[in-house]
Amino acid sequence: MTLEAHVPSGPIAEKWQNYLDRAKLVNPANKRKHDILVVGTGLAGGSAAATLAELGYNVKVFCIQDSPRRAHSIAAQGGINAAKNYPNDGDTVWRLFYDTIKGGDYRAREANVHRLAAVSNHIIDQCVAQGVPFAREYGGLLDNRSFGGAQVSRTFYARGQTGQQLLMGAYQALERQVRTGGVKMFPRREMLELVVVDGQARGIVVRNLVTGELERHAGDAVLLCTGGYGNVYFLSTNAKNSNVTAAWRCHRKGAFFANPCYTQIHPTCIPVSGQYQSKLTLMSESLRNDGRVWVPREAGDTRSPGNIPQDERDYFLERRYPGFGNLVPRDVASRAAKVVCDDGFGVGSTKQAVYLDFEDAIGRLGESGVRERYGNLFEMYERITGENPYRVPMRIYPAVHYTMGGLWVDYRLMSTIPGLFVLGEANFSDHGANRLGASALMQGLADGYFVISSTVGDYIASGGGSGKVDISEAAFDEAAKAAENRIRQLLHVEGDKTVTEFHRELGQIMWNDVGMSRNRKGLRHAIDAIADLRAEYWKNVSVPGRKDTLNKNLEFAGRVADFLELGELMARDALHRDESCGAHFREEYQTEEGEALRRDEEYTYVAAWEFTGDAGSPTLHKETLSFEAVDLSTRSYK
Amino acid sequence: MSQAMTIHLKVWRQSGPDAKGKLVDYRLEDLNEDMSFLEALDVLNEELIKKGEDPVEFDNDCREGICGSCGLMVGGIAHGPMKATAVCQLHMRHYKDGDTIVVEPFRATAFPIIKDLVVDRSAFDRIIAAGGYVSVDTGGAPDANSLPIPKEHVDEAFDFATCIGCGACVASCPNASASLFTGAKVTHLAHLPQGQVERKERVVRMVEQMKAEGFGDCSNHGECEAVCPKQISIAAIAKMRREYLRALFG
Amino acid sequence: MTPRIKHDKPGLRSALSSSVGKKVLTGVTGFAWAGFVILHMAGNLSYFGAGEAYNEYAHKLLSTGPLLYAVEIVLLICLVIHAILGVNIYLGKRRARKQSYDTYRSAGRPGLQSPSSRTMILTGVVLLVFLAIHLKSFKFGPGIAEGYSLLVDGEPIRDLKRLVTEKFRHPIYAFGYTGVMVLLGFHLRHGVWSALQSLGAMNRRLTPLIYGIAALLAVGIAAGFIVLPLYIYFFAP
Repeated sequence: MTLEAHVPSGPIAEKWQNYLDRAKLVNPANKRKHDILVVGTGLAGGSAAATLAELGYNVKVFCIQDSPRRAHSIAAQGGINAAKNYPNDGDTVWRLFYDTIKGGDYRAREANVHRLAAVSNHIIDQCVAQGVPFAREYGGLLDNRSFGGAQVSRTFYARGQTGQQLLMGAYQALERQVRTGGVKMFPRREMLELVVVDGQARGIVVRNLVTGELERHAGDAVLLCTGGYGNVYFLSTNAKNSNVTAAWRCHRKGAFFANPCYTQIHPTCIPVSGQYQSKLTLMSESLRNDGRVWVPREAGDTRSPGNIPQDERDYFLERRYPGFGNLVPRDVASRAAKVVCDDGFGVGSTKQAVYLDFEDAIGRLGESGVRERYGNLFEMYERITGENPYRVPMRIYPAVHYTMGGLWVDYRLMSTIPGLFVLGEANFSDHGANRLGASALMQGLADGYFVISSTVGDYIASGGGSGKVDISEAAFDEAAKAAENRIRQLLHVEGDKTVTEFHRELGQIMWNDVGMSRNRKGLRHAIDAIADLRAEYWKNVSVPGRKDTLNKNLEFAGRVADFLELGELMARDALHRDESCGAHFREEYQTEEGEALRRDEEYTYVAAWEFTGDAGSPTLHKETLSFEAVDLSTRSYK
Repeated sequence: MSQAMTIHLKVWRQSGPDAKGKLVDYRLEDLNEDMSFLEALDVLNEELIKKGEDPVEFDNDCREGICGSCGLMVGGIAHGPMKATAVCQLHMRHYKDGDTIVVEPFRATAFPIIKDLVVDRSAFDRIIAAGGYVSVDTGGAPDANSLPIPKEHVDEAFDFATCIGCGACVASCPNASASLFTGAKVTHLAHLPQGQVERKERVVRMVEQMKAEGFGDCSNHGECEAVCPKQISIAAIAKMRREYLRALFG
Repeated sequence: MTPRIKHDKPGLRSALSSSVGKKVLTGVTGFAWAGFVILHMAGNLSYFGAGEAYNEYAHKLLSTGPLLYAVEIVLLICLVIHAILGVNIYLGKRRARKQSYDTYRSAGRPGLQSPSSRTMILTGVVLLVFLAIHLKSFKFGPGIAEGYSLLVDGEPIRDLKRLVTEKFRHPIYAFGYTGVMVLLGFHLRHGVWSALQSLGAMNRRLTPLIYGIAALLAVGIAAGFIVLPLYIYFFAP
């Protein structure tokens, strides 16, 4: 099978317009005859569902939480990029496109990224019209800030709660459609199977998480907006319920999984404090604008930070990257912190942390100045650690934050299964090997508000999803049966290890061997270890309780089972990619100074993995990335 | 290393919506003061699973105080004793070795119990669906800067837009009223020019829906503000009433 | 485009029975009574005035005739509405949480939950019962025909002062009245602030100020009422 990305012709800046000019349209009177199933209600799913219902489609929406408003997009703090150039500092659509492609280390599809930059401005317009309270200047116009080391101020923000405010906008638009009847909402439902009829995605099987009932829903297209899979690492900044199951079930039904190894590790998280730790908390990387990162010069120095004089401190980011200093991209900052900790310079009781020090900033701005900028983050830090960061430096350590990989989609966001569209973090398309700050919100909303409305229409008007399917068809029976069997199996193992214990073990393997830096030996070890763990899982997991009631542990059991397959694929993907790019750092491929060494001749492609019936032997397909608009260069932040 | 602590929990267990529930005693040893309260419940659940018993069900997701999934009555207070803190960010260092903590679900007729500590808060979604939005379809919005809005208005709106929909206001209200939740959304949109067009019908419909869901009436105890993880002021409730009167007579 | 959901202004009936309408009405009617109570208290204090100030004041009030009736009718209507809504809100609260908590505590400030706010229904019912007794004792109590009269400017008027003095010499009445006035203070402590909040008159800056003033007002009114029975019981000749 060759991967056809269906990128429209023309110069890069005209491709999206060319697509829109030629896309087929569904007659307004016919839209209500088409059922669209949307799974997930984050920025991508919520905005897509609302927009499609506004257009007149019949939309059914599913989410695992008790309300669509809980999706994890809500936790995004920093902001959302757009090429508005309101500050007049020289930003353009091209520049946003270029920064995103470069930030992704030239492993994203050029045409998609340009479209993302091009629609970014409409997102801001739409959100403001909805009443999203973005930060403003005293003159009443929108305020922008520079984020994640960008050279221009293109980030729109709403205090430290930008994701929440954007999600409320999408959620409210969604609820409005619930009221008009355009959307039928199904909360507390987990998608367990995709139903494929005659080669097209035509339905889903979901578990009603309250009654345990397996429900079948038929539709003409299925939109997967289920977020990322960072929880494969057990500890991540993802919400506890974030999972890969819906995407993984689609993968097993034929959707290719692209670039699974690209995992973003965010440098400014609160370190792990013990074995009981259930998740990690991110603090906005805006902290690096004023905080200075350091460790003691001497390994194993146990003095309290205040007692370590300046000349015995190593401000290692400033030392290694004098140009960007503490503002180097996330992957670079994270790896540098790992290196110093691995070498024994780490601080705190676990030695897995570095200092983020505001002493200079407090000297410069005063405590009140720092409070004004970062007050809520400082409070959050103190709430969690019990330490006052105005007095002692924060301790930070990198944590898994975002997954750039995901189901492979073409330019229209359609997976290798016709009729299955994948939006937001769940797809692979826009961030390449590393995502820039404030770009995730942009992508979710671009996909949901502005891309999918045209591409789904094009698909349907071109004859996709035609003819009604009935939920009593054999394909639905099979899918429901498969879901039922898996649940029964999980309940019947009756072993003596908990789901969490397995998950924690998987996370340890992933973090050690498929984490911030990877090598051949570790990855081979991971592949074997995960396969063994998976085999043990099905023999020794303990899932008490019943399937016909609320049973969160059973839900987790299903998700961890899928993580145990995904983890191995991630390791395989990382092993096959003999280069370092973006967040994927292979120790064998680094420059003499320890920086990432890309190998463009061999690896300028998207690795799309096909499930072959056995988790241990996926087939690799390649979508070659051709760059017409930009020249491949080496990222340098010196 | 911080000191290990023992905590006695009295946890509400209820096997289903119609089942009779009761408080069950558990003893947790070797807890750590750096743990969050939910992590202590995780420890309890791991022990229960090991014994083949049903774990305690409780809603939670982001565990960083923003998604609004978690919500428990901890020691008789919604989200526990710490101000401006959702229960997922409550840490055990605020308790002493040997303490007894009662854990109950949010109780309100409009929030029926599903199981153990999990309640159905979909009534909140229906209140928003009744009018908690600005009716702008995707696509036709004018340039974002074509509408200057005084910073103070946006800042004020923002304070009320931070609601996470957790339901603590209802749970802590002696009357089980949803006025703070509803008022917060009404106030957020009433402060912004975008919210003006539908200002009147919005407040009327949302207030009606609040009643239809079976929430109680507000008696101005202000307890909601005290437990709100986002410290939303009951000024929202006064504002909602002004908006309502305005819709009626304006 | 999504069709607009039609929605007309609510009818008066549905507006008044809405959760906002109920509180607005409770506030307005409560205010009417609070105003009356303040006037009443001022009237009481004229007991300490020179000569027959007290009786003359009472007489003047009575001689306003139709105006007095009008005020009384308004107050009666307000009372009925206030009481019905109070009971309605209380019953609604019981319906809104059928199973109460095993353990419940107030989280304290900035919450304004207090013994006063929690007992509005109780203090309200007591005040209502008291009102009935109070009206029977004084308003509809013995008058000129029963010999409680004196001559002012050659005209017989009711000697209310004598009646009041006699009543409050009785410990049950003096201390009962005192007790009820303490409860009135409690009712007003939450009621005055709450009425303003119900009418939408509060915001984040005003609330703490008004809440403080309401406390002073409540104490002042209660004290204003209490001095009379206690003075009579302990000191009156």
